[in-house]
Amino acid sequence: MASSAAVPFWRAAGMTYITYSNICANLVRKCLKEPFKAESMNREKVHFSLSKWADGKPQKPVLRSDAPEV
Amino acid sequence: MAMAVFRREGRRLLPSIAARPIAPIRSPLSSDQRRINLHLFCREEGPLGVRSISTQVVRNRMKSVKNIQKITKAMKMVAASKLRAVQGRAENSRGLWQPFTALLGDNPSIDVKKSVVVTLSSDKGLCGGINSTVVKVSRALYKLNAGPEKDVKFVIVGEKAKAIMFRDSKNDISLTVTELNKNPLNYAQVSVLADDILKNVEFDALRIVYNKFHSVVAFLPTVATVLSPEIIEKESEVGGKLGELDSYEIEGGETKGEILQNLAEFQFSCVMFNAVLENACSEMGARMSAMDSSSRNAGEMLDRLTLTYNRTRQASITTELIEIISGASALEAAK
Repeated sequence: MASSAAVPFWRAAGMTYITYSNICANLVRKCLKEPFKAESMNREKVHFSLSKWADGKPQKPVLRSDAPEV
Repeated sequence: MAMAVFRREGRRLLPSIAARPIAPIRSPLSSDQRRINLHLFCREEGPLGVRSISTQVVRNRMKSVKNIQKITKAMKMVAASKLRAVQGRAENSRGLWQPFTALLGDNPSIDVKKSVVVTLSSDKGLCGGINSTVVKVSRALYKLNAGPEKDVKFVIVGEKAKAIMFRDSKNDISLTVTELNKNPLNYAQVSVLADDILKNVEFDALRIVYNKFHSVVAFLPTVATVLSPEIIEKESEVGGKLGELDSYEIEGGETKGEILQNLAEFQFSCVMFNAVLENACSEMGARMSAMDSSSRNAGEMLDRLTLTYNRTRQASITTELIEIISGASALEAAK
């Protein structure tokens, strides 16, 4: 059993709980059989464009349009 | 009716004759005056020199207003169908964050050093006033929370709020997100977004501003507060709802701090998901009512234009009749 000071392996690797749960969800989706698999893979599509701002100026936007396990 | 046919025929025959010059008024008029006179002559003589008050202008306007009415009606239908699709999902997603509120309580009035205001808006326009209300609430939150040692930053989702906020609060914006609605909204997308926000912005409290969907005509701007785990720890020592956290038993090898951190992240993700869905619903509802009032206005405009058109048409027919009759009576009198 982990001691109270150890963090779970995924947090030590730099992931948040959200990323961890998304990866688990993706694994579950992969276990489904067709046609449910295709339907649920559809629900996983990620697309948005993010841009950080510094001193009131937007920097180059980063387009995140890939599978959600990033 | 015969008049109309005659007039149309006349229009086709007259181009050869209508090369006659519009009689210039040889008097000391200014160029503006001359231009106005030209204009009057032109209007009276119609596009090809026909002696009738032109109904062409009014007819063009009627056509364009009718087209606009059709377009806005179609947009209303599209918005209504999209609303129906998203509404079910939004109402179902409310259950995601309700346990969190039951456990951790909602603290909108909490006083923290670093707050981040997440403003949700739409990418497309023509949706009424929802984006401006959200921006107003965000600015009010900024004023409430700003002060010495306190820091407020904005994270803006959606093009419309970005454009409005850019004008006066651009130094406080830390992230903007656009094109979120390209694919149908799903939890995976929103959770990746929440993850990015968590990674890039330091916060003690996150305030998410969005339009909560009550009904097709009612959307209220709401603020949902999510606290960071450290603040939760501090608050639980103070007491109140959060103070009861200690009475829960924690299984597994994790400490309370870790669980609180996981919970806080997941809470943020769930609240964001619900907020994004409700905002989408409100956007569709607002667009529906905006397009509806726009089609109604177009209809009224069309009625008024039709009246003007009929009046001009009848006036021109009467003028032609008068000319013909006076011409005929003059011929008779001359006989």
